[in-house]
Amino acid sequence: MTHAPRPWWLLALMVVAPACYGGSGGGDGDDTDGTAGTGASDPDATADSSGGTPEAPELGGVGMIGMRRLSSDEYDNTLFDLLGDDTQPGAALLPEDVADPYDNQIVNQMASRTLIEALEQLATEASARLMADAPRRDQVIGCQPANATDETCMRSFATSFGRRALRRTLADEEIQRFVDLGMQIATQDNDFHIGAGAMLRAFLQDPEFVYRVEIGTPTDEPGVSRLNDFEVATRLSYFLLGTTPDDALLDIAEAGELSTPEQVRAAAQGMLTDDRALPRIDRFHSMWLGYYRLPHSAQLTDAMRTETRMLLDKTIMQDQGDWRSLFASTGTFVNDFLAEHYGLTPPGSEQFTWVDYGASGRRGMLSHGSFLSVQGSYGDTSPTKRGLLIRKRLFCQEIPPPPPTVNVDEPPPTVDSPCKIDRYNMSEIDGCAQCHQLTDPVGFGLENYDQQGRFRVTDNDLPQCAISGDGTIDGATFNGPAGLSDLLAEQGLLDSCIVFQVYEFAMGHGVAVDDERYVDDLVTSFGESNYRFDELMLNLVGDEAFLYRREEEG
Amino acid sequence: MRIKPLNRRTFLRGIGGVAVALPALEIMLDPHGEALAGGAKMSSHFFIGFHGQAMGGDGDPVPDMYRPDAFGPSYNLKAATMPLGNYGDVRPDVSIISNLRIPYNNSGPGSWNTAFHLGAMPPLLCGVSNPDDSSSCRGVTADQVVGAAIGSGTTFPTLQYQVQPSWYLTDSAPYGRDIISYQDDGAGGVIQVPGQTSPRAAYMALFTGFVPPDPAEAAEVARELARRRSILDLVRGNIERLMPRLGAADQLRMQRHFDEIRALEERLAAIPPDATADCMMFPDPGEDPSIGGNNATNGGDGFDVNAGYSDEDARARVFSDLVHMAFTCDLSRSVAMLYTMAQSHMNVYGFTDIPYDLHEVGHSIGTTEAVSQVLAWQLDQFAYLVAKLRDTPEGAGSVLDNTAMVLLYEGGHGLDPATGDLNRTHSTENMIVTVAGRAGGFVSGEHIDGQGMHPVNVINSAMRAVGVDQDLGEVVGTIPGLI
Repeated sequence: MTHAPRPWWLLALMVVAPACYGGSGGGDGDDTDGTAGTGASDPDATADSSGGTPEAPELGGVGMIGMRRLSSDEYDNTLFDLLGDDTQPGAALLPEDVADPYDNQIVNQMASRTLIEALEQLATEASARLMADAPRRDQVIGCQPANATDETCMRSFATSFGRRALRRTLADEEIQRFVDLGMQIATQDNDFHIGAGAMLRAFLQDPEFVYRVEIGTPTDEPGVSRLNDFEVATRLSYFLLGTTPDDALLDIAEAGELSTPEQVRAAAQGMLTDDRALPRIDRFHSMWLGYYRLPHSAQLTDAMRTETRMLLDKTIMQDQGDWRSLFASTGTFVNDFLAEHYGLTPPGSEQFTWVDYGASGRRGMLSHGSFLSVQGSYGDTSPTKRGLLIRKRLFCQEIPPPPPTVNVDEPPPTVDSPCKIDRYNMSEIDGCAQCHQLTDPVGFGLENYDQQGRFRVTDNDLPQCAISGDGTIDGATFNGPAGLSDLLAEQGLLDSCIVFQVYEFAMGHGVAVDDERYVDDLVTSFGESNYRFDELMLNLVGDEAFLYRREEEG
Repeated sequence: MRIKPLNRRTFLRGIGGVAVALPALEIMLDPHGEALAGGAKMSSHFFIGFHGQAMGGDGDPVPDMYRPDAFGPSYNLKAATMPLGNYGDVRPDVSIISNLRIPYNNSGPGSWNTAFHLGAMPPLLCGVSNPDDSSSCRGVTADQVVGAAIGSGTTFPTLQYQVQPSWYLTDSAPYGRDIISYQDDGAGGVIQVPGQTSPRAAYMALFTGFVPPDPAEAAEVARELARRRSILDLVRGNIERLMPRLGAADQLRMQRHFDEIRALEERLAAIPPDATADCMMFPDPGEDPSIGGNNATNGGDGFDVNAGYSDEDARARVFSDLVHMAFTCDLSRSVAMLYTMAQSHMNVYGFTDIPYDLHEVGHSIGTTEAVSQVLAWQLDQFAYLVAKLRDTPEGAGSVLDNTAMVLLYEGGHGLDPATGDLNRTHSTENMIVTVAGRAGGFVSGEHIDGQGMHPVNVINSAMRAVGVDQDLGEVVGTIPGLI
């Protein structure tokens, strides 16, 4: 897959080296400025030119935010980038992140005994795996110890690795504490690598590794602080790539070159060309619409995910086109297996190839198996839940939950007929109608597609129950994904909700009063950029408010 | 000559000056071997288990195939309780309390409103009313109360284990249906205490610092323990240095993390018990069974009979072995075990041939007979643990003699207050709680009439049995005839 050619001046910007887990030790720590305990980036570098207290952004928009723990996905990506460890142990051992729908929301991140035990076990085992793999070990450590108690090599490893692990340059006394630990163990056990391993385990359990701590410098506005360049680098890297800043990005931060919105935006532009940008965008979309875990066979799941990811790649990365066209595309990427599954003409290849939808009635992501597989009930699709998904996720509309007197564990009962269109008659029942008339008619417009995204003309196992595929949304009628997609486009229903979703994913919390200016500007610029998703991401990180944080109340 | 009594936690200087703790040697017991010579009671053991399970099937007029036909000793076994006849017949050690209920429609102490999932679970666990059917307890749970009262000095004041490791549905999350332990947050509220889902991690944690018999292995275990302590010391120091620079809200978050680091340090510093014939580190259980995939539906067509199961049977057995050793070695005196989550979507096909998830059996198959098959599988695991404790000597009797165990079920059978329908699984009528052990006068081997009382009255009885004279939440008193 090739990227569209980029303007020459983008290539002239820094090149981001991907997946660089080899932190070459290099120096002996002399290039830190030794600022005690505050992280070495000189606070003055982020202040205004007079060298005094930084000013809060005039336009406001700085939201309240707290420290964020690495999600297990971020943990595994970070472990891979730091150590070359691809075993994804976090997914197996860390307590499962609540996906609400995003797996990184601050409000759901509470420490527990199981978390602390898991972090220790992860650190211990990752260190053991590394030390048993000599080539990988030597690359990470960056030097060959002359003997068991080679303090120079220990310090070099602590300095280079500490900077990567804690995402900032460490002060001399901070490095010394890690070196002391490493040397104590190396001496005790007469083995350099056991000592280095102990140091590594300490780094991987350090609070500034486990949490993305943001402190910054207080501004002239109470509660608002200006982030330092390392903190900005961390925000950028986890948002755009889902992983820890690499050496190149840390170098830029250390040089004070992530301190203006223009600099940040330029760095972000480079990061969007990284191989990990598309997987991150794919992950966002899969959590947004709930298809990050599909209940199908591995082959079918993989095929559906590939189909959707390739559409994201084409629309966002290659064409840099209108994001809303994800829902309007008149074809899709399938291979023979998936095409046959959908009942489309196979392209004659195992490779995923663009196939036109023709007259099939399919259109865009609403026709993808990934989207159609989620939100089922009672062994079948649920028009209520599909409609709810569209309302909540696509339009950011709030629909209240069912009252406690309703038993949602049981399907709507058979009345005069067993057909779903008759059983789902809540729109006629007073007390139920208000909500169900918002959801059910939307879902029924997609009922021709089963829970594996296949087309059907009748209810499952009920040949007498024909499915019309007719739906209604806010008074307008449609039929099938093509009809719904046309309506969405016509009525501009997709223009702004995605902005709120991306913000929530980026910040780890929903939009609150303090965030409003920031998000409103993002909605405006999204439209002005002709709904380019990459521009949305760049505008998000390129806003002045991205460089600040606001203290939480209470 | 009068033998000077020793404190149970007296240490001797072993070889090399390393302090070594003693298990309950005869010298420490009174002449009857029943209590410590100093007059203090021998420590008791408390266990509370939970199954996300109701007693019958929707629409079935038979509320359960569980409660024996008559009250009193020598009770008969039924479809659900057959496994109590296994392991040399644990009936003499097990009592069944039937005819219990939790009030609903906000109509009494420890009541819920009308939404069974999740509203009925909190009052069952902590005895505090749940007027808005929230998924969280508003009070502390019994394991925490007991741990605070009798667990000081043990390495693990409380333990929480979780057998079902996954929710098994893609479109939703447990939202509290996987939590059976709530502890005081120090600020007037409670916080959830999740259980350990990895048997192997639980094994390594429980046996931290145990000394293997081989001297070379023992030396390495000691070195690794020393490393862990040094590493955590630096980590804890870094948290302490970081803390003052954080804002107030972040300090609270970091404080939770810090408290758990401190607790881990304390566990690493605890001196492990000396190995005896009964207290020992049993062989490594090996890697955890892999976690089963999710199902898109709850059963029937499209249900993957190979998904939704993570060999919970094997997991339950390892956790049971750990509970047994925790009690035998006095590493913990209070354990909470979540066998299956509330509204459990664990696949039951592997042990019943019913292609549905546990929760759906009661709804879709809808027969008390089918539900009883699942109950039988659950009760076998409980019986296994009861038997192990029964077969381990302690003092003049067995570990079980000093234990009070409570097995709770999410639901009973009867009126569903949300719909007004009868004979439903979404009901807290006709609830049953099963108990085991004889600590402090706890009555075992009988079918006891709960007289319409609350399941928490059973919990209160078990707490008193282990020397904790408290009531849980709003529910006051014990079950007559149980203690």
